[in-house]
Amino acid sequence: MDIIIQSFYSFLCVMGFSVMFNIPRKQILIASLNGAIGWSIYLLLQSGSASFIVPPLAGSIVVGVIGEIAAIKNKQPATIFIIPGIIPFVPGYGIYNTMYHIINNDFSQAIVSGSESMFIAVSIACGIIVATSIVKLIKESLPA
Amino acid sequence: MAEISIKKAISIALETGRIMLANGAEVYRVEETIERMIASKHSAPVNVFVVSTGIIVSTEIDGDPYTVVDRTPSTSLDLEVISRANAFSRLFTDDDMTEEHAEIILQGLRNHPRFPNSVRYLFSGAAGGFFVLLLGGTFIEFLSAYIASALVVMFTDTLTKENMNFFIKNISGGLLAAGLALVTVLFLRLFGIFASYNHIVVGPLMTLVPGVALTNGIRDLISGELIAGSVKIMEALFIAIALAFGVGVVLQLSLAIIGDLSWI
Repeated sequence: MDIIIQSFYSFLCVMGFSVMFNIPRKQILIASLNGAIGWSIYLLLQSGSASFIVPPLAGSIVVGVIGEIAAIKNKQPATIFIIPGIIPFVPGYGIYNTMYHIINNDFSQAIVSGSESMFIAVSIACGIIVATSIVKLIKESLPA
Repeated sequence: MAEISIKKAISIALETGRIMLANGAEVYRVEETIERMIASKHSAPVNVFVVSTGIIVSTEIDGDPYTVVDRTPSTSLDLEVISRANAFSRLFTDDDMTEEHAEIILQGLRNHPRFPNSVRYLFSGAAGGFFVLLLGGTFIEFLSAYIASALVVMFTDTLTKENMNFFIKNISGGLLAAGLALVTVLFLRLFGIFASYNHIVVGPLMTLVPGVALTNGIRDLISGELIAGSVKIMEALFIAIALAFGVGVVLQLSLAIIGDLSWI
């Protein structure tokens, strides 16, 4: 139940960012849906494991694959579905926490949250690249 | 139908690439687009080199080298433009487009439709507000973050219009976000409502924090675009420093006035 509510929130959050990034109007719904699906995957995996790398990695792979396929179907660049889609797990809060700890002279905590944010960003980037490669491989077998 | 001259084709391709880059397209996409557009009208090999701040196109025309350099101002992320430029480049490569027609489309790219400001601020609020709910915020924190995010985006939009330096812009954005959150938390205290400062401040900050830039930079690095990736990560780093500066000033001030930060 929690996950349904959370995915609804992420849908609206991603929709907000989609408007901020000025996404073509007809694509906003798909992009927001993409973000909601990615966030649900993230939450499902997060409750099942202690790793902070696997959930954003898996989430961004899903967001990337959906984004690439939607891009082919709608003849749009894939970025317009992927950039808003990854927003919920982009380490914005982590970057803020790092800044906050530095301001408070708590450098060891700053290094912890800073490197955590870095690894999350790396895993999201890897996830997107994996997704792009997967879609390249299966592109021919996709129904037109 | 008048054939487009090679030089004209190059200048059209360059303009398209410039518009894409200025609106936040990835470096590899800009390179690919310019290369494809020129190659469709021109048989000699084309070299395109793009960094976040400029474009260099070099080719041969009748045996003589021909190079164009273009400095690109960096602006905000606007995916509508990228989508349209993408469609335009496809049209340009596939058909024999006349010069006038290409110019008209380019003009349209420059003055593309945007959301009305009211809609933009309404949704910016949603972006920051619902992000707070994703972090497990309460309803009152959501509401505060919603209003603060809309105000911060309104404020930074104004600064962008004034061509403010990006560092100063982000410092002021961070200041405003932290200040609004502080005032809200203290105000709610008066009515005995507890709201977490960290939750409220992250909403408006999320609209400024360079999470996407950081991720895109790493993505560029992984795909071998070392310069473009480093530039983007550097940019993300400095935005983060600017925001930290803004937030820090507010926290230090409140420390000086109120005495301790334990209530946060």
